[in-house]
Amino acid sequence: MGHQCKSTIENLFMPEEAEIVRAEFMTPAEKHFTLRLKSGKAMVFEPGQMLEVSLFGFGEIPIGFASSPTRKGTFDIVVRSVGRVSSALNRLEKGDSLWVRAPLGKGFDLEKMRGRDVLVVAGGIGLCPTRSLINYILDRRSEFGKFTLFFGTKTPKDQLFREDLAQWRISKNVEFHETVDRADENWKGNVGVITTLFKNTTISPDTVAVICGPPVMYKFVIRDLDRIGIARDRIFVDLERRMKCGVGKCGHCQMNDLYVCMDGPVFPYSKVQDREEAFG
Amino acid sequence: MSVYFLKESDLTFFLGRLLASSPVIAPVAKKSKFVFAELGSAAELRLDYDVTLLPPKTAFFPVKQKLLDFGPDGPKSAITPRKQVLFGVHFYDIKGIDMLDQLFAEGHRDNNYLANREATTVVGSSIQKVSSRAFFSTVGTDVQPRGHDAFLTHVTAGYVFETRTPKGEALISFGSFEKATAAQIEEAAGVNAAVLKRCPEKLEHSSELIAVKVRNAFANEELWTDLAKDCFSCGSCNIVCPTCYCFDVQDRWNLDQVSGTRHRTWDACLTNDFSKVSLGAGGSENFRERRGQRFRHRMMRKAAYLNEKLGGPACVGCGRCSAGCVPDIADPVRIINRIVGGRHGSSV
Repeated sequence: MGHQCKSTIENLFMPEEAEIVRAEFMTPAEKHFTLRLKSGKAMVFEPGQMLEVSLFGFGEIPIGFASSPTRKGTFDIVVRSVGRVSSALNRLEKGDSLWVRAPLGKGFDLEKMRGRDVLVVAGGIGLCPTRSLINYILDRRSEFGKFTLFFGTKTPKDQLFREDLAQWRISKNVEFHETVDRADENWKGNVGVITTLFKNTTISPDTVAVICGPPVMYKFVIRDLDRIGIARDRIFVDLERRMKCGVGKCGHCQMNDLYVCMDGPVFPYSKVQDREEAFG
Repeated sequence: MSVYFLKESDLTFFLGRLLASSPVIAPVAKKSKFVFAELGSAAELRLDYDVTLLPPKTAFFPVKQKLLDFGPDGPKSAITPRKQVLFGVHFYDIKGIDMLDQLFAEGHRDNNYLANREATTVVGSSIQKVSSRAFFSTVGTDVQPRGHDAFLTHVTAGYVFETRTPKGEALISFGSFEKATAAQIEEAAGVNAAVLKRCPEKLEHSSELIAVKVRNAFANEELWTDLAKDCFSCGSCNIVCPTCYCFDVQDRWNLDQVSGTRHRTWDACLTNDFSKVSLGAGGSENFRERRGQRFRHRMMRKAAYLNEKLGGPACVGCGRCSAGCVPDIADPVRIINRIVGGRHGSSV
């Protein structure tokens, strides 16, 4: 028996190189990267799916796609500086490389949305993964019914994707409502938690709803969706957990018996409503 | 395959020749305990061990495993399986290996584990001494060990050696094996059946009942808080477990500061920050913040979630967690019997 055999066996942890074609801070902590695979291959993914993004010597972190697969050639991510890896990533600039493993997990059920009204409720950095879906719908607008978007942040300064927001405010293709928890002197819009936006519009019970935001937000939004009468298998929640391997092995993202990285991060609410650990 | 007999005095010769051909990982003494380690010589083998400190999964899934090397030219896969023999594994640990085989292969195939596993020949061994906290005879009794290539049973005059796969059969050429007689085969069966009666601890319920009752106890906060009240959150129960496979992934620079490795290390869901995410600005969210929640998660995994998937609890009755837990609160027998109810504990 030989002691050592070299192998070309597929390694789940092998990332691909991606080149930064655009990098811009949207807030002091959140940087928007536009990337392209160095191999020249297209990144094939669906809205709601994720990447493990890494920088060798620092580590890997899970991040949702922030762009729509309808916009080909490049893909976007947003990195919030919170720790060692994210802070290192946010020091990168145009022309630098980072490494990605993608696509990972399950995204939004687009089939369930086609032909129906869609409501997206995004809180804070929750706009990043939902932007992938929002732009998908806007690019294929005729395939969907009424499209409503709620976006809430703590303060006006925390708003992301300002160019997008400016377009959505005037677009006829989306009914856009925004709010902040605390206004500043220039803010003319709604003030209050995101559920205060429900009074400004009418959502039909046939709507497919998508929720992505801080953990505390979900149960309050779902309470309103229940009141409207939206079936729970037509409510999709995009959940955050600690996802280390991204392939359903390492255990960190477990929520009861589910691996958020592989079974999610997008779940129909009907699938997780009885999982005690889903919403604490 | 076939059943052979090896004289007691021929075991050393067999192992010596095996060692000359490939590394052999087997139970050896470490002070007053035992560990699986690479044999230096056949004399080090201790088939009279009761239980090893760490399970033999270390042979395929080491405590620290390199996944990638990285450098200025990018990453290189570190999957480099080594042909080896894992020798002297008790049947409960073979069941643990079977479970990991399934869990690492399902969904996304984890070749960092599977390649090592496939390159390894596993030889089981009969249990000569039973550890003080073992309950392997009453857990997952419907689940038979199946991942081994051969099995060695100590009988009066030597060893009965049953080969189960071509990899196991290939070992025959290394020793002076003869065909086992019907009487030797019968004696071996008797030895392996008798050891099941010697477990000091007993689970009293079927796998199905355990799955349902433990799952239904989820919302009993008082129970979990009470069970975990002395927990140090040290994760020893996870680290010694043959079926635990959670890990963390970390990068390390080499001294040159331009190259390094990405590796995984065993991790433990009982530790405080296992499920914690940073939210920025010093904020964080810990999805299992309290000790009771983490203690509950371990039992839910072992007794309920994975039970349904594996056809029995993700527990093999080795008793390592019971023995390894400093406040002695990790024993699955006591926990499960308390939840399900039975002679060894009051029903909650």
